[in-house]
Amino acid sequence: MNEDTSPRGLGRREALLLGGAFAGATLASQIAGIRPAHAAAGSTLVIAAAATPQSLDNEYDASLGTIDAIGQLYDSLIQFKKKPDPKVPSVLREDFADHPELPGGLAVEGKLAESWEVDPKGMFLRFHLKKGIISNWGNELDADDVKYTWARKFALNAIGGFIVGLMGLPNPDAIVVEDKYTVTFRPSVPNPLMLKLQLNLYNNIFDSKKLKQVATKDDPWSRKFLENNSAGYGPYELASITRGQQAVFKARANYWGGKPAIDTIIYKEVPTSATRVSLLQGGAVDIALGLQPLEIVRLKKVPGVTVETVPASSMMWIELNTKFPPFDKVEVRQAMNYAFPRDQVMKSIFQDIASPLTGCMPDIYPDFNAKANPYSYDLDKAKALLKSVGLESGFKMEISYNAGDPSQEPIAILYQTSLRQIGVELTLHKIPAGTYYNEVSARKQPMIMFVDAPWGPDPGYSTRLYFYSKSFVDYSNYANAEVDKLIEDGSQMTDIPARNELFGKVQDIVMKEAPWVFVAFPNFTITRKADLQGMTYYSTNAFRFADFSRKA
Amino acid sequence: MGLVRYIGRRLLFVAPQLLGIIMVSFFLVKLIPGDPAVLMMGPNASQQALDELREKLGLTLPLPQQFLHYIVNVVHGDLGTSWQTTRPVLDDLMDRFPATLELVTLALLVALLIGIPLGIVAAGRSRGPIRKLADVYGLLAGAIPDFWLALVFIYIFYSTLHIAPAPLGRLDLEVVAPPIVTGSMLLDSLIAGDFDALWSSASHLMLPVMTLGLVNAGPILKMTQSTVERTLSSDFIRYAEMCGLPKRTVMRQAVRASLPSIITIVSVLYGFLIGGAVLVEIVFSWGGAGQYAVQGVLNADLNPVLGFVLFSAVFSLVVYLFVDLLYFVLDPRTRG
Amino acid sequence: MDQSAALDAAPVASAPASLAGGPPGGAARARSGPVGFFLAVLRARPMFAVGYIIVLLMIFAALLAPWLAPYNPVTAAPDDYLQPPNALHWLGTDATGMDILSRILYAPRVDLTIAILGTLISSAIGAPLGAIVGYYEGRSAWRRALSVLVMRAADVLQAFPVFVFAIALVAVFGQSLASIIAAIAFVNIPIYLRLMRSQVLSIRGMRYVEAAFVAGASDVAILRRHIIPNAIAPALAQLSVSVGWSVLLTSGLSFVGAGVVAPTPEWGSMIATGFQNVTTGQWWPSVFPGIALGIAVFGFALVGSSIEVLADPAQRRLVGVKHAAG
Repeated sequence: MNEDTSPRGLGRREALLLGGAFAGATLASQIAGIRPAHAAAGSTLVIAAAATPQSLDNEYDASLGTIDAIGQLYDSLIQFKKKPDPKVPSVLREDFADHPELPGGLAVEGKLAESWEVDPKGMFLRFHLKKGIISNWGNELDADDVKYTWARKFALNAIGGFIVGLMGLPNPDAIVVEDKYTVTFRPSVPNPLMLKLQLNLYNNIFDSKKLKQVATKDDPWSRKFLENNSAGYGPYELASITRGQQAVFKARANYWGGKPAIDTIIYKEVPTSATRVSLLQGGAVDIALGLQPLEIVRLKKVPGVTVETVPASSMMWIELNTKFPPFDKVEVRQAMNYAFPRDQVMKSIFQDIASPLTGCMPDIYPDFNAKANPYSYDLDKAKALLKSVGLESGFKMEISYNAGDPSQEPIAILYQTSLRQIGVELTLHKIPAGTYYNEVSARKQPMIMFVDAPWGPDPGYSTRLYFYSKSFVDYSNYANAEVDKLIEDGSQMTDIPARNELFGKVQDIVMKEAPWVFVAFPNFTITRKADLQGMTYYSTNAFRFADFSRKA
Repeated sequence: MGLVRYIGRRLLFVAPQLLGIIMVSFFLVKLIPGDPAVLMMGPNASQQALDELREKLGLTLPLPQQFLHYIVNVVHGDLGTSWQTTRPVLDDLMDRFPATLELVTLALLVALLIGIPLGIVAAGRSRGPIRKLADVYGLLAGAIPDFWLALVFIYIFYSTLHIAPAPLGRLDLEVVAPPIVTGSMLLDSLIAGDFDALWSSASHLMLPVMTLGLVNAGPILKMTQSTVERTLSSDFIRYAEMCGLPKRTVMRQAVRASLPSIITIVSVLYGFLIGGAVLVEIVFSWGGAGQYAVQGVLNADLNPVLGFVLFSAVFSLVVYLFVDLLYFVLDPRTRG
Repeated sequence: MDQSAALDAAPVASAPASLAGGPPGGAARARSGPVGFFLAVLRARPMFAVGYIIVLLMIFAALLAPWLAPYNPVTAAPDDYLQPPNALHWLGTDATGMDILSRILYAPRVDLTIAILGTLISSAIGAPLGAIVGYYEGRSAWRRALSVLVMRAADVLQAFPVFVFAIALVAVFGQSLASIIAAIAFVNIPIYLRLMRSQVLSIRGMRYVEAAFVAGASDVAILRRHIIPNAIAPALAQLSVSVGWSVLLTSGLSFVGAGVVAPTPEWGSMIATGFQNVTTGQWWPSVFPGIALGIAVFGFALVGSSIEVLADPAQRRLVGVKHAAG
């Protein structure tokens, strides 16, 4: 995991990071150098996605369209450095490995922040903002914007509530404005994640002047405005959005990092993936998102189309709701895992564009415990486990899945066939995409398939999300006092090796207790026209269109 | 004046009928599981925020009272808001209904152009290849699922032969839509003198119109054929034949006498297609009203469903009314 | 389904024209032996025979599927996914390795159950109601009001966009066979109501009905003994057409995800899930069930038109003449 020093690494991206007007000039000249005659062809990028963004307010919505939009409209204070993917060198990815030699232990660089100071004891984190950064409404970035952004999380207490909890921030006063360009975070207890969480896609900074201007008495945090508008410092601004049809983004000429190479992004809703394939093949779109594995395999052979697929933070699993008997019994949950035909699913459904889910957090993240997984496909063991709790004759069960994800139904069918052999009769229950997430979060289904990715590349972040009994995404109602205690302890531990050992133990326990049926790590795949370049993989699985440009 | 009284009597029924339609759909749609407040706020909203929103949306009121509110709002032209698009349903429908209407109207014209001539010709003879063709076509057209035919067409004409444009709405991506005057892309681009848009919208209309036209020509064909056949075997035509009138004249009379039934089937089809074209709309990402309503039902987005039902009911009623007036004019017996 | 709904609408709309005058079918039946006449019609119109064969084959498949089908229709065989048609799997396999031929053979069990039950329920409600309405129309004031009320209610029901209505019903009552059947029954009721009403209207004035009335028979008796038997033929013909249409509607529901629960073998859902694979070159999971569905609806439509011919005296004469001439 060396720092990347190859010539390609010193491309547009590095220039972007120098900041200020000078970098902007460099960038402009580089773009001019790259594609002198193709300005018109390169000016629009058309993307076929399954759905347009729902809300543009990152406090409430984390659907795919929304995260793709947020990535264009906003910037965070800092970001990870990037390096090429070891297997697919044309794809860059974040370097989120542990770097004990660096301040804060992370390989990060400034975005909206010029520099920062990290307290080794984890009691404060200070940012010095870049000067002269302008929002899409023409307001200059200052420390009040940072304070406002976090105060909004406290006030609305939805997604942001989880993040402030992770950072150990007790109230909005923990974010202190020191002067116009300096802001300090002061957690109440030592916190190891303060710096890492600043990189989160949903910790982007708002333009507080604009948002205060549009606030009303009923709506002090301008939620209505942010549903369909943006107020941030990102490389693009929203030109129009017609839900169910398309969203259009325009590059900002006064973006602090210089105007992006692609002028206009058209984000089209094309509900069926088969149509998205035809569109890419016919050349009507530049990128087709959310394709099925078989389609991806086929597109690999199509001239003019490039497929890049890299290991990602996405995980697919089946929640075993521990409040529903017989899933209150560990043995039954283990049996469900032994009876899951993981290898067959990888091969026939995922076409090997995924790997088996061998843990309870992404295996690409630091401190993943590779030894924790005890499961293999073993029906005899599954039967024995069921027998040990008196269920040798099996039971009836219903599995729910998302109609919007065409790979879930065949997986459920394979599982159904497999379970029949240990006496478990599974019925399939398809849920429309629109109500599916509410169905998951309501926790009223005994078994429901879920695909999610913990954005923070950290074992504390991941396990606290899914296995901490007080977490809002503990959708399997998993509750284990020891796990809770370990997670709580770990969240205040700044001794990295000790913390890693602790979370290794958490992973061991969770895997053994199996609140999930562990299914797959689906790859992140981009299927695009061959003349594009600049694909970068982020742990949020979102795109940033500013990374892209056309080949000369 | 008979006509005025006739219209008045018809209109008398329209208001209670509309009320009935809204009522049935309101109570049906309210039964669809899914909490609009949760769906609007997303799964991460706090309980307090949800309660506030429910209060604001009037969801805490008893159903009859909610219904009353809805009716009052409808009368004031407010069909509510869609949580999926976050826009007023009326605006959404004003965008989408013309798209559906253009598609359906053209498809119906195609169906008429196929169905009526073929039906008349086939009715005139009891055997021969044309008769066989008409018989088989009539049965087959009713046997093929339109969405399946649409998918096959896309596969053949877009994916394989690259003749048709991408099945992605009404215009090419790079073509700017002409200013809206009539809501029909074809007419609007003609009015604007924008031939790029005209060509683009015509080529996008091709496959969906073909699909719906071919499939719906079936019933028109059958109807035409059977009524003309019946008329041909009726006494007055026999009389005309016996009088030695030329075959052409006899045929024209028979067709004319069959016109009311043909008009009826066309009007029924027209009203039906507004909602019935939905699968084809979905396949072609048409952005029409039917697609909007189906998404609404599946995602517990209730106002679009109600709005759509209301729109299409009004449309059907207008068409039926128009047809009745046509009868009134054509057939003196109804004037009694 | 749109096309077929229109098919439904066709006889409804044509009923007044076709049935004005002419004795009801029942009266003529006594003259020739019914079986002999039936065979004569089949000989004159061999297509009808094809229709009966298709329908019989389908019922046959539904009854004997466990013995006919080479594989279990709901057992996944992940190692054999998306095999093209071959000696082991005559029609290939789908994305989970299920044998398509077996699923097509099992499908009539579900499709026919939904379609036949839905149609029977709707006709059982719609036809008697239509007869009563037709019989009372234009009689005493309150009966007349009642019939107008029923007809306007039918208008309301028919003004609904059928498909949206059906999806809404399934959404409300959950994704199960029962709710699909209920949805199909519901949207079919107005068709039978109208068909029966227009028939009864034309029969009501017949001499034998008036005779019965004069003889002091009660309304119920007149309806049951004289009117319904003589007016039922078009409704019977409609049954077959409705069954075909209901199969199409079921498949449309499956297409938008409101149909039967996976992996139940059902043609529409097979088409819908299989189409995913057509774009990647595996056409067989979608095309074969599409053909099967088409043949099925075609068969029912043929049977429907044969009943129409058998029941319509004018048409019978045509067939008879042709038969004699040929």
